[in-house]
Amino acid sequence: MKALALARATFGRWEALLVLLIVAAGAWSTTLSPYFLDTGNLLDLLTPYIAVGLLALGLTFVVIAGEIDISVASTLAVSAVVLARVWDAGANVWVASAAGLAVGTGLGLFNGVLVGLLNLPSLAVTLGTLAAFRGLAFVILGGEPVTGLPEGWSQLGAGYTGPGELVPIALLILLGFALLLGVLLHATRFGRYLYAIGSNREAARFSGLPVSRMRVALFALSGSMAGIAAVVLIGYYGSARADVGNEFLLDVVTAVVLGGVNIFGGSGSIAGVVLAMILIATLRNGMGLANISADTQGIVIGALLLGAIVAGNLSQFARTRWGGRARATGGRGEVPRSEEVAVSSKT
Amino acid sequence: MSARGTQAQALAATAFRLREFGILVALLATGLFFTLRATNFLTGDNLQDIGTNVAIVIVVAVGQTMVILTRNIDLSVGSIVGLTAVITAQTLAHHHGLSLWVAALLAVAVGTACGLANGLLVAVARVPAIIATLATLSIYRGLVFQRAHGVTINQSDLPNGFLDLATRKVLGTPFLLFVAVVVVVLGSAFLHWTSSGRDFYAIGSNPAAARFAGIAVTRRVILALTLSGALAGLGGFMWAARFGTLNAVSASGFEFDVITAAVIGGVNVFGGSGTVLGAVIGALLVGTIANGFTLLRISEFWKITFQGFAIVVAVTIDALVTQRLQEALRRRRRREVAEARAEARESPA
Amino acid sequence: MRALAEVDLALEAGKVHALVGENGAGKSTLVKILTGVEQPDEGELLIEGVQQRIADPHAAHRLGIAAMYQEPTVFPDLRVAENIFAGRRPRSRLGTVDWGAMKRETRRVLSDIEVDLDPDTPVRGLGVADRQLLEIAKALTAEARLLIMDEPTAALSPREVDALFAIVRQLSARGVAILFVSHRLEEISAISDTVSVLRDGRHVATRPAAELSHAEMIRLMVGRTLDQLFPKEEAEIGEPALELRSFTRRGTFSDVSFTVRRGEILGLGGLVGAGRSEVARSLFGIDPHDGGEVRLDGTPFHPRSPRAALRRGLAYLPEDRLAQGLVQTMAVATNTSMAILPRLSPGGFLRPGRERRLAERFMERLRIKATSARQPVEALSGGTQQKVVLSKWLAAEPRVLILDEPTRGVDVATKADVHRTISTLAGEGLAIVLISSELPELLGMSDRIVVLREGTVAAELTRDEADSERVLEAATGVRPA
Repeated sequence: MKALALARATFGRWEALLVLLIVAAGAWSTTLSPYFLDTGNLLDLLTPYIAVGLLALGLTFVVIAGEIDISVASTLAVSAVVLARVWDAGANVWVASAAGLAVGTGLGLFNGVLVGLLNLPSLAVTLGTLAAFRGLAFVILGGEPVTGLPEGWSQLGAGYTGPGELVPIALLILLGFALLLGVLLHATRFGRYLYAIGSNREAARFSGLPVSRMRVALFALSGSMAGIAAVVLIGYYGSARADVGNEFLLDVVTAVVLGGVNIFGGSGSIAGVVLAMILIATLRNGMGLANISADTQGIVIGALLLGAIVAGNLSQFARTRWGGRARATGGRGEVPRSEEVAVSSKT
Repeated sequence: MSARGTQAQALAATAFRLREFGILVALLATGLFFTLRATNFLTGDNLQDIGTNVAIVIVVAVGQTMVILTRNIDLSVGSIVGLTAVITAQTLAHHHGLSLWVAALLAVAVGTACGLANGLLVAVARVPAIIATLATLSIYRGLVFQRAHGVTINQSDLPNGFLDLATRKVLGTPFLLFVAVVVVVLGSAFLHWTSSGRDFYAIGSNPAAARFAGIAVTRRVILALTLSGALAGLGGFMWAARFGTLNAVSASGFEFDVITAAVIGGVNVFGGSGTVLGAVIGALLVGTIANGFTLLRISEFWKITFQGFAIVVAVTIDALVTQRLQEALRRRRRREVAEARAEARESPA
Repeated sequence: MRALAEVDLALEAGKVHALVGENGAGKSTLVKILTGVEQPDEGELLIEGVQQRIADPHAAHRLGIAAMYQEPTVFPDLRVAENIFAGRRPRSRLGTVDWGAMKRETRRVLSDIEVDLDPDTPVRGLGVADRQLLEIAKALTAEARLLIMDEPTAALSPREVDALFAIVRQLSARGVAILFVSHRLEEISAISDTVSVLRDGRHVATRPAAELSHAEMIRLMVGRTLDQLFPKEEAEIGEPALELRSFTRRGTFSDVSFTVRRGEILGLGGLVGAGRSEVARSLFGIDPHDGGEVRLDGTPFHPRSPRAALRRGLAYLPEDRLAQGLVQTMAVATNTSMAILPRLSPGGFLRPGRERRLAERFMERLRIKATSARQPVEALSGGTQQKVVLSKWLAAEPRVLILDEPTRGVDVATKADVHRTISTLAGEGLAIVLISSELPELLGMSDRIVVLREGTVAAELTRDEADSERVLEAATGVRPA
């Protein structure tokens, strides 16, 4: 309970709840395996989910601005196969990585232009590119994996450092980006603009914020994170395949939503998303220990995603119904607008 | 008032007829292209093959059309098809003598339950459809894995009477295609002749106004997603009969075939407009291209790439056409008002 | 604050009853109560002698009350017949939609009111006038006993207004009671049997239309003396700061020209829909414009985006505080710094201290009643929120400030504060454009008043020339006898 109080003082209420859930999941895992609390095991908890985490960090920005990007895992796949192809063609590791990153950013930019400049709904656009990019990955690489990637690379994804070689390098990369993006989201003008756009896009425009440009940049950022995730993931697997990251989307979206990011935009924190990632990793680890197959785990994660949104809706409902000031908009007496502008996001 | 009304009406009507006409032209052009390039394209067997393959897409796309009309989406249909296909196959594998009707009913019942759960999540718990059905996509797929236990069901496990469904013909058409035609007719009739069906259009066209007009929006959205689930269940039954070989990953990714069919067939992702017939043409286009690619030995990977970009292009076109049309009508309207006012000022009564 | 107090109205079947009053007189509140959107605090409502409660819009429907608004609500994707019958389609004996009956009925109703529209026309292609007629058809098929028309002519051309009125007369001849809300005095005289005037939420008079001249109507609507609430101080009027020449947006406003000088408050008057906010929006780069010239401090300026306008020292306080002015969930400080964040965040990094100090400065200067600069604005009262919006724009240190209804929906004390602030700002050499629907405010604050009517400048009056009658005369195009 002391941990709870501490967490509550440090973060918001939602984050405190996540900490509690992590502790519970950890306790459950300990009953399944005495090795769970081993330092090495704890540090390694997130290693299989580094790419998921990096994607979730990027998606956090998109969702806070009131949009959605469900193409992230497919973008990752294209980055990964381009990277592998470039390396296969004889380029060095750095050039190949840069190519992968550039491709990820480019694909994100493609989404961003359609959403930000043409004002198309991000849901429909990224649903399309989710399929299109995955197809592209297969077209570029075919069904065969590229293997035999150099040692230095796998260090990134699967290497260890620190005292006793206990700290996964990938974990450091993830935490580094979490810190970097946390600063970007919470301490810079860019982040502030995102929250404003996600809360009230019209007021943001009336205040002179560069709304269209921000929305394009957002998807480019999400694409870049997919590129970075590709670099780390290839290192982790030591090979590149076109179907890489196929099963990531659920975990990524769950991490963001479970992390307390409002699916309708305007609120959320990087800390929450990181905690949600830890929770997902702990749960999956525990289920692994309990011999629950990966696919059955999908049921649990899916339920977690639904539960997070329903819980959020319930607390919102409780607040407007029973406590405090009702929100200014909505309500039963709402008079419908003459004609809803056709171009509004469905999410 | 009439002259202007007619003019504007003609403009709007043409724009929307063009949409379905355009996709029909694309279908014919694609057919022509493959006929010229692949000698075995325009043969009775091949066309029948396309028909049988497309039948399942059509059945599920009819349900998806209803969901999209209400401004929602159902990503879980692939998993529902997989789940019901595996359940059908397992049931028939264990009970060879079971009536196929009972098996079909079971598949539809399971699909209906899945769809109802989606509907409750979206309409009652207010989870955005994309997120809700993304979650149930994983959940239902997880159930498939639980049922299948990593075992593949083979054709040899299944009763012949069931597998015959895929090759049997009714009135000269493959049975599965016949089922699809029945579903299309019923689906079209439902959307045209029932109050619930018309409500789908109203809800998607202007949700706030629909509520204001006394339409039971919550119940209708639940209905749309439930129907989508039920038809996916029927699709699962057909899938099992068509392929005979089933495992835990059967029909994964199938939702993209279905959504592509509906969206390029002119069912507007913003809701409110589109027809079952459009979705059918869309499904035929998707099926024709997939078939043509196979005949031309173009990698199957191009298919999904094509589908994805087709969705993006269709959405872009729909949005731009709607925007342009609306803008054109507004501009004309503003000009008319300005002219009329100027006229009135010059000749004071 | 009471929006509406002690209004007694008797609406008779077969009569057109007009409701007039300035903006904020309480007309829309009354309409909302009658349509079940809002609930009255006290008083009773009798329909055909029976006391009724209108709990929600459905209840209004059931009681035979139908309403049509400036901008009708339609289903753009559906056709005419379905729009009229949405939610209550005729059924056949099989329970299916009876299209035949629906179209027949639509055709009958439309020909009844002599509207030449096909039941199969998609509504997306129809203009506002036709959509208005759909609303009337809807009311007719629902057998409405009371039809409320809230500014139905705002978006119509004169010819369409004539057509609409012919239908209104038909309806009333059939025994429908009609409540006609409008600003246009000519139309009121032309259509109504009885006129009720509201002022400041109170019922001032009800007279037979034939006995009420326009001059008398205006007198009843304005009916108050200007008090000391509006202390415009003398300020030194300097060089031209903002000049508009033939500023035009086709179909919305045209050929609008005026000049505002440093230290001057230019009032922009006119009826709702006359194009005042539209001019401001185009000027600030939110909406496009088609022609004309704008000069800021003597150099040409081409409005493209709010950002560009801000950079040139032009700021716009929008009319809709909730939707356009504020990010409700954010803190006072965050909202205050919104437009000038680049200046407060060197290198892109936020400096919460600077933002807080900025907000605190304005909290003191504008007497903003918030517990701290970190309080979310959604917890503040309407007047306080408006002061936060004002802070945001003042923080941008503009040279020209456009204020669009700056005191709408705020309490009297805040109103006085806002007026004092505006006056001080002008004294400091700021050029101000004040858009207001409240005549006393406009007359009290402005050095000069430009009146718009139907998108063009109808009059430009100096402070000495301007009085309520003259402004209303220019705004309505009616000369009081």
